[in-house]
Amino acid sequence: MSQSRGILAIFKHLDSVCHAVEKVKARADFKDHEVYTPTSYHEIEHACAYSPSPVRWFTFVGAMLGTVTGFALPLLCDWDWPIVVGGKSPGIYSLPAYVVIGFEFTILFGAIATVLGILVMCRIPNPKVTILDKRLTDDMFGIWIPGAVPDGAQAKLLKELGAIEIKLTH
Amino acid sequence: MTEEVKWEKTISDVNNEILVNLENPHKMFYVALATAVSVLLFAVGMVAYHTAVGPGMWQGFRPPVYWLVDITNFVFWVGIGHAGTLISAILFLFRAKWRNAVNRSAEAMTIFAVICALVFPAIHMGRMYLGAYWAMPFPNTNNLWVNFRSPLFWDVCAISTYFTVSLLFWYIGLVPDLASVRDRVSGIKKIVYGILSFGWRGTARQWHHYETGYGALAALATPLVLSVHSIVSWDFAMSLQPGWHTTIFPPYFVAGAILSGCAMVYTLLVPVRWMFQLEKFILDEHLEACIKLTLLTSTICFYAYSIEFFVAWYSGNVYEWAIFAKRATGPYAFYFWVMTFCNCIFPLIWWSKKMRLNKAVCFVVCVLINVGMWFERYNIILSSLVEDFLPGSWGHSEPGLWEIGLTVGSFGLFFTFFLLFVKFFPIVSLSEIKLIMPKPMSGHGKGGH
Repeated sequence: MSQSRGILAIFKHLDSVCHAVEKVKARADFKDHEVYTPTSYHEIEHACAYSPSPVRWFTFVGAMLGTVTGFALPLLCDWDWPIVVGGKSPGIYSLPAYVVIGFEFTILFGAIATVLGILVMCRIPNPKVTILDKRLTDDMFGIWIPGAVPDGAQAKLLKELGAIEIKLTH
Repeated sequence: MTEEVKWEKTISDVNNEILVNLENPHKMFYVALATAVSVLLFAVGMVAYHTAVGPGMWQGFRPPVYWLVDITNFVFWVGIGHAGTLISAILFLFRAKWRNAVNRSAEAMTIFAVICALVFPAIHMGRMYLGAYWAMPFPNTNNLWVNFRSPLFWDVCAISTYFTVSLLFWYIGLVPDLASVRDRVSGIKKIVYGILSFGWRGTARQWHHYETGYGALAALATPLVLSVHSIVSWDFAMSLQPGWHTTIFPPYFVAGAILSGCAMVYTLLVPVRWMFQLEKFILDEHLEACIKLTLLTSTICFYAYSIEFFVAWYSGNVYEWAIFAKRATGPYAFYFWVMTFCNCIFPLIWWSKKMRLNKAVCFVVCVLINVGMWFERYNIILSSLVEDFLPGSWGHSEPGLWEIGLTVGSFGLFFTFFLLFVKFFPIVSLSEIKLIMPKPMSGHGKGGH
């Protein structure tokens, strides 16, 4: 895919990749660059300084929807056919018993929405994924710059910042 | 856990060694798998016959005990499942580092234990294929809805939520690791693991969203894990039966569940660690931390057993006291003392550090704890159920061959699932264990922060 055309700078060390990200993230010739990491090091997150993830809004909306559904289900069924069980009147008089159902639905819907949030925000499932380098899910870090060339200025800068390898991706 | 854990390995060894070991397990792995599958097949045969003939063939299936062994097994397996979510969610929020080495297998254990638990209410319903229709909120032929005020329906909500959330939590944790597997293998395996890993790339942006979502899932699962066994305990505590109708049940059941779950995590991890040569990743310190948690919950159980007895006596309620006195000295006293010794007395040896580090001793005590936890549920349920409000139906109850057979069979189901899991998926969370290992620093800067 032409979208993955560019250069990938491979880094071995966490501190050098963080330093490099901080140097290049604001530069115009590094527009749309992507940072690759084998696991979620906080140092990288600090270096990239992304704004808070919208996944938490998925969680919140899902959980609230769950609360409403969890209370609505028994209350609407009571309204559909009120029935006294064990001497307890239906409807809002039985609300304490429905707290359990409301609680469980809150968690259920919240969790499903969170997972949907992760999938949507990470743009997965993605059947057309291009694997730039197999080491990126193992023990190496990477900075990928779209449209750049291996002997360009970006490649030179990244080499200076500690990249152990620059490779062309397509 | 202190910071002084000594790592002999670096993050570059993680994928190589953990995944290679999955491809060449010890011979004992195949022996264990064959045993588990045979027990499972035996149980499948029993369930098939049982479904054809009906639950009336159970020796204990008569008033007033009916569901005795079914509900005992249900509570037992749900309890086992609790450690997984505790380790993955609560210890995640507390940033307990040892969890990163064991959370994957603990979460897998949770899912398989909940499946085993769900089998028993289905068996109890007789015709399993109609189970979902009876349990879920659908109106019956008279247009009546389920009783939303019944703890049994709450239990349906709690267990189905628990299963779904645990499954999502486990799978989301697996996605980056499956991408690591995808990048190592070739051919048909690459396609399969490629599909399973959803095309994960591992960009910092993906990790950013992933971490936020993982934290939110942990925050949702934390109250969930405490609520599920509370709700299971309400199956009993909401009734008016002496011996069951106590407010201590929810925290007492949760502590018992975590005790049995941690013991099961240890029981599974020690052989798996040996079969797949993971000693350099699941360190002795991590196993010791698991034992400490087991000891803590064991003492909570000890306290709960004692206070339950004290309150039964102090309440001045003769029926309550009669049940408790009978538990300890009556015809079922054997179960009571098995429970007391296995859950409260034997774990006390772990106050000695030497014993906590002795894997053979720990393994035996962990197995005994699970025996004790099964008998705890059996003892609580049996003693109150066998003498209900109709003295005419009182009697004596012992589990028959079918009950014992299906109980053993559920272990076949559990171990078959677990052993298949450890063969095909990363047993140790690759991305999470890298986080607790020394960071790959160039040496120019300071090591981490």
